Amino acid sequence: MDLEFSEEQQMIKDMARSILDEHSSVEAVRQIEDDARGYSEALWEQLGESGLLGLTIPTEHGGGGQTLFEAALVYEELGRTLATVPHFVSAVMSAGILNEAGSDAQKSEWLPRIASGQGIFTLAWLEPERGYGPVGVQLEAKAVGDTFVLSGTKQHVYFGSAADQLLVLARSEAGIDIFVVDAKADGLSMKQLLSQSGDAQYRVNFDNVTVSASARVGAAGSGWETFSTVMNDGIVLLASQAVGGAQQALDITSEYMKVRTQFDKPLAAFQSLAHYMADASTNIEGGRMIVHEAAWTRSQGRSIKRLAPMAKLFCCDTYTQVTRTCEQLWGGVGFTLEYDVQLYFRRAKQLELSWWDSPYLEELVAADVLDS
Amino acid sequence: MDFDFSPEEQAFADEVEQWLTDNHDPVVMDPTRENFTQLADTPERREFMKKLASQGWLGMSWPKEYGGQEIEGVYEYILNEALAKHAAPQIGKGVGIIGKTLIRHGSDYLKQEFLPKILNAEIEFAVGYSEPQAGSDAANMQLKAEKKGDGWILNGQKIWTTSAHFADWYWVGARTDSEAPKHSGISLFLVPMNDPGLEIVSLPTIGKDTTNQVFFNDVYVPDDYLVGDEGKGFQYISEALDLERFTMFTLSPSTERARVLIDWVKTAERDGKPLKDDPNVRRLIARIVTDQAVAKGLSVRFVCAARKGGKPPTNESSQYKLFATQLSQRVCEDALDIQGAAGQIREGQEEGPIQGRFEGAYRATVVETIGGGSSEVQKNIIARRYLGFPKNF
Repeated sequence: MDLEFSEEQQMIKDMARSILDEHSSVEAVRQIEDDARGYSEALWEQLGESGLLGLTIPTEHGGGGQTLFEAALVYEELGRTLATVPHFVSAVMSAGILNEAGSDAQKSEWLPRIASGQGIFTLAWLEPERGYGPVGVQLEAKAVGDTFVLSGTKQHVYFGSAADQLLVLARSEAGIDIFVVDAKADGLSMKQLLSQSGDAQYRVNFDNVTVSASARVGAAGSGWETFSTVMNDGIVLLASQAVGGAQQALDITSEYMKVRTQFDKPLAAFQSLAHYMADASTNIEGGRMIVHEAAWTRSQGRSIKRLAPMAKLFCCDTYTQVTRTCEQLWGGVGFTLEYDVQLYFRRAKQLELSWWDSPYLEELVAADVLDS
Repeated sequence: MDFDFSPEEQAFADEVEQWLTDNHDPVVMDPTRENFTQLADTPERREFMKKLASQGWLGMSWPKEYGGQEIEGVYEYILNEALAKHAAPQIGKGVGIIGKTLIRHGSDYLKQEFLPKILNAEIEFAVGYSEPQAGSDAANMQLKAEKKGDGWILNGQKIWTTSAHFADWYWVGARTDSEAPKHSGISLFLVPMNDPGLEIVSLPTIGKDTTNQVFFNDVYVPDDYLVGDEGKGFQYISEALDLERFTMFTLSPSTERARVLIDWVKTAERDGKPLKDDPNVRRLIARIVTDQAVAKGLSVRFVCAARKGGKPPTNESSQYKLFATQLSQRVCEDALDIQGAAGQIREGQEEGPIQGRFEGAYRATVVETIGGGSSEVQKNIIARRYLGFPKNF
């Protein structure tokens, strides 16, 4: 047992930290809220040039060939700085799906562009009034000759307006299929939905959008299997992002508690308040451990079927609880827009609700424990 | 980064596991005694410790000149977790705080008298720090030791001495200087438990076992049985806690309880339907296994910090203890909630679910967030060491 990072891992973490400190200051984060594109092009370019974008994409397709562990280190930094970039939808989920199930032609066409940042993919998965499971995918994909015609509505399509291509989960006769759809395709329209965190997400309408049969990723009916396999890795990174955000909220709050005085002593000297923070720090450290264990285990080629949902469940729960505690400790000013703690508080709950929420994750864990 | 044991450590863990399976004995290994399983308090359990000693597994981390093997503390961690998992007595106080303190600070006389007996499991100790007015405020102990000739006369009272009624020797802190600041007026003594001046009064607990009060009535202790220097007792006590991180607060009992609960949930029925299909039960089980995994992560963290050497992993240890002991109680509480009305059937009866295991464990685990530094003491430590907050009490 050894919890030290390798030199290369430390270098990747430091590089992410320095790029994000420069391009994702709190001012920059505030500025980009509710923006239609939703991210800074300068930051995106830096992520592409530094190799952080293609970090886990195989080297033969222009990526860095690193494991989930190195990616988790980067995601903690993304979480710490509240960076809003289409990294997850494009370089993790879409690249992951293409790499897992795409044809050689699809891989060589798209993966290098995703790795460099020249192309942006996003995921059109969830639908209004439907849940997180496979039954929630009802957008119709009707086979017509050697094409498919897509009809239906998607929601929570992050960075929809910035994307060049969408990976669309749709229901065909074979089951669930994933299609590559050009964002400018005829019949595709989108509307921005303002969110709790102020990110750029869209409701996307598919009105008889036609794609060629070769746009399908993987074998007929294999879409959900592919998607959930990639998600199982992806949620470990989101768990790491939650740890980063929770840690930063804790850090700024504990510094504030050392200087803010009431009754002639700093808040940090009040035992009831200090104990909230002791609990918060313990949960954050525990969360970081389960993220590291899950990411490391995956990097060894082992299954993280149970560890991954446990990691997102615990870390997102911790992020939400820690930031609520922090709001309480900042007092009235924490309720104002002017102070930064609210930025973490709003993102924490959104992250918990997104990409498989707690009830869905609990059921994944319970099924693995009780039904096997 | 590596969450696995090294091949050598894994081989040792496998060897211990096999040995414990081969030497399984329900009289020695009774999981329903919950946290009291760690004590070698019966003839059978003392015999078991002798067998363990003959394996060479006591004092593995001690220096070779005192009969140890000078191997890393992580082996004692592996051994103790395995013993705890099997509800066997643990390596405990003798090779831990007492042996290690004697090695660092004891006279040659005390080393010769006690160290070989510890290694051979021929001796059991009781530890006396707490007093009625010195609980979390441990340095407030008032048991008085007055100099008389070539020794000391001890008068006063100890409390929560769990091993007093079966131990051979008492490792006890007493105030030798009432004028000095409270942390520096304390000294450590070794007293034979059968001294006629000691009166042991049992204190039954809401768990299955009892603990004790011990009264000192003019107990004479020769100078030879003062441990180290006069006035440094509290320093030795604190140092021993830092030396003993590897074997404190095992996680296995709580992991085993969760396993027993899950095995039961998998087959139990209510109103003719599998209990495991109840959404609330599924949710509770998912949370339990998740939190168990987090507790394991926190234990790996303090073990890795401890083996790195340098600064004692005080904060890591506190965060682990805080999380793991609260979880241990929550598992019992969730278990009773899952069992519903039948959960109240007293432990030890066939009619209760799992023979009332969780009815008993619910009571027995109350002490886990109190003993060994209460949760509130752990939070004060975390506030100061991790968050850099000022003293708040």
